[in-house]
Amino acid sequence: MRPLRQALDRWLGRGEASITTPPMDGAFRPNDLLDAASTVIATPAPDDLADTTRGLVVSSGRSLLYVHRQAEAPAASFDAEISALAGLPDGGVAAGLVDGRIGFVGGRYEGKTIPASPEVGCITALAAARDGALLIANGSAAHGPSDWKRDLMEKNASGSVWRLEPASGARTQLAANLAYPYGILEEADSIVVSESWRCALTRISPNAGRRGAPLLENLPAYPSRLTRGADDAIWLALFAPRSQLVEFVLSEDRYRRRMIDEIDADYWMAPCLRSGQSPLEPTQQGGVRQLGVLKPWSPSRSYGLIARLDGAYRPTASLHSRTNGHRHGVTSCLASAGRLYFTAKGDGIVASCAYEGSTP
Amino acid sequence: MTVPPQAEPPLLEMKGVGKDYRGVAALKNIDFDLRRGEVHAIVGENGAGKSTLVKILSGAVMPTRGEIRLEGKRIQIAGPAFARRYGIAMVYQETSLVPTMTVAQNLYLGDEKFFNRLRGTYIEAQQFLQSLNFPVDPTATVLSLGTAKRQMVEIARAVRLEAKVIIFDEPTATLTPEEKHHLFALIERLREQQVSIVFISHALEEALEISDRITILRDGSHIITDDAKSFSRETIIRHMVGRSLTDDLYGRAADGRQSRPAGEKVLSVQNLSMQNVVRNTSFSVFAGQVTGVFGLVGSGRTETARIIAGVAKRDFFHGGDVRFENRSVRYRTPRAAVGEGVVYVTEDRKGDGFFETMSVAENIYIGQISSRDSRGIVASLSETRALAEIWKKKLNIRALSSDPRVIELSGGNQQKVVIAKALVQRPKLILFDEPTRGVDVGAIAEIHHLIGALADDGLAVVVISSYLPEILSLSDRILVSRQGRIVEELSPDEATSESVMFAAVY
Repeated sequence: MRPLRQALDRWLGRGEASITTPPMDGAFRPNDLLDAASTVIATPAPDDLADTTRGLVVSSGRSLLYVHRQAEAPAASFDAEISALAGLPDGGVAAGLVDGRIGFVGGRYEGKTIPASPEVGCITALAAARDGALLIANGSAAHGPSDWKRDLMEKNASGSVWRLEPASGARTQLAANLAYPYGILEEADSIVVSESWRCALTRISPNAGRRGAPLLENLPAYPSRLTRGADDAIWLALFAPRSQLVEFVLSEDRYRRRMIDEIDADYWMAPCLRSGQSPLEPTQQGGVRQLGVLKPWSPSRSYGLIARLDGAYRPTASLHSRTNGHRHGVTSCLASAGRLYFTAKGDGIVASCAYEGSTP
Repeated sequence: MTVPPQAEPPLLEMKGVGKDYRGVAALKNIDFDLRRGEVHAIVGENGAGKSTLVKILSGAVMPTRGEIRLEGKRIQIAGPAFARRYGIAMVYQETSLVPTMTVAQNLYLGDEKFFNRLRGTYIEAQQFLQSLNFPVDPTATVLSLGTAKRQMVEIARAVRLEAKVIIFDEPTATLTPEEKHHLFALIERLREQQVSIVFISHALEEALEISDRITILRDGSHIITDDAKSFSRETIIRHMVGRSLTDDLYGRAADGRQSRPAGEKVLSVQNLSMQNVVRNTSFSVFAGQVTGVFGLVGSGRTETARIIAGVAKRDFFHGGDVRFENRSVRYRTPRAAVGEGVVYVTEDRKGDGFFETMSVAENIYIGQISSRDSRGIVASLSETRALAEIWKKKLNIRALSSDPRVIELSGGNQQKVVIAKALVQRPKLILFDEPTRGVDVGAIAEIHHLIGALADDGLAVVVISSYLPEILSLSDRILVSRQGRIVEELSPDEATSESVMFAAVY
């Protein structure tokens, strides 16, 4: 009966096959806190943040920049774009590159580069483990980090999580078949991963070698990096909103295949880090501009969102940049010295706000 | 507003009128007078004796003692036909029209000519309704009309009988603001034609706005009669209940109560649609909180709640998703919803809330039957009574006899029976739709405390209300509905009457 039921549900758009998106309310109640944050740096496509002994650094293209010392030369430059960062306990920083290599800046492994391996070609997030190893989120086995939109539209779930010994360069796979792991956080005896295409946080037990039950499901946006603050609060960046239109496109296989084959990726019916900048974009926002004013509540392909989670990974508060805002495409956030820093990759801004948190 | 001079003798006078039911005085020696061409409001808590008073005037019940004078002559109103002969007409809160007959047939019911020509009746009815500025089709069956239009027909019937006295019992409870405006304009016209109006309403602002004089009853006794302009909302409430209830009712700021924190997400409504009434609406409900839903009439609040509880159906294709306790659900009947702990308390208690000719105990037991721990239809009389006793005590349901029929209870107590029926089903999520509509201020305070206590006990509570102070005082989070969807969420700290209303209309 179950396959028949599923087929019927798909046809009628019911139950698990319904084309719906979770509401942004409760802890996700919209506000303008991201837009109210003060700009720290304006730089092209800032992506990830890390704390080092020399201060906070941000990756922007091939460069690693000091957030608070803009006049200084970059902390480092690479010959490929940086796709992920991790602050190391010794004060250095590990940088994952789009070609799969990992470079170290400062600390014990200063100047060292670990070559790419065929299995890890899409480093989306890095985290330092307590024992000195490096945890790697490999978003996809099929595409590189810049091709994330294609990975979503192909509905891939080929991501994996790896453990790397920086000294020897030995890699061990901890989990596979993940739907674009984009954030990684070590717990006492497990690892928590944000799976973007499942819109969920998943716990992985390295010893058991399997994926556990989702910690948090049905998020209203696609999650990216996870960090833990000094007060043990967990911060989750969400880089693009879910929309009914995209969910519909994801359910229509033939349409999606034709779209992938025939249309340039920039103009797909897909989420993006910043929308509304090209007249060639698909006309998804027809009714949202009234008398020249872009309505904040209108459905959009881009958005800015950070969620604060408690110890049980329940959302307790959130910071937003709504449709009419200018801090979209938040790919990372980091709580440091009483402030919350974040990268609005869609708008090319690193900003910060003093945020004490509140419950909805 | 002009008050007729006092020197003129009253059109209708009641002296020492009382009514006992089974030896219990429902009305105690009331003195009441009605002047020609005045609007006289009677206010009081439910059970204060208002209904008994107007039932005596309309001939529905006979007084136990006292006398009634019309234009100085002593009269005996032995039945509704007598009342009509004396020119006293009654417009009931729940209309007394025949649903299967047309508007015109209802207008002329009991007054048909021997050779009745339907076409002539329709033309006559059309002209008459137009003269009253009522947009009602005389050929439509009453069944097809909405509540407001049914009430218009009821009023038209009273006016057609050329009544000298028209009694309105809660005429505005089901009207939209625009319809209310029309009704008040009509009352104004009737007043100019020297028709006397007795106006019963729980909405004190209306009593203050429309009436020339106000009479306040409490516990079957006459408390005060005075010019409307000498009253304020505060003084009326003080006379009605013998204490100031304003703070109890709507005084969140005064008691400094903090909002309850959100518990687990119990309900997630995602892109729910039902024709053009509910349009792609989404919201969540959390345990341990009162979620208030405010919206104007027609904003789709009630329909959304009814879909959640299995009373109404969402769109067949792509009607959206309702996730209860993180599971997609689609209840085909209310019983299925009740079985999983989702209970809806209707806004139309007389239509859908209870069986009015059955006793309180039987009604509560019926609620129990559809619950998760029901043993089916096998009813034990002692168990039924014991259950009723528990809930009567818990909810303070007051009645003149030990196990009365629900029809014999006041509006507030009837509402408590409906709530008891819902609570006996041990809900996890309870949806209250207009929980205090047509309920007196004393019962409102009790119902509000009860709703708060349910949230304190960890239940997910949704309160749908058109009355802003109620939403502002009760809710831990406020959702605003407009044109079939939730458009805004406000916390109690940031919600003001203006901000909520702005979201509801703009």
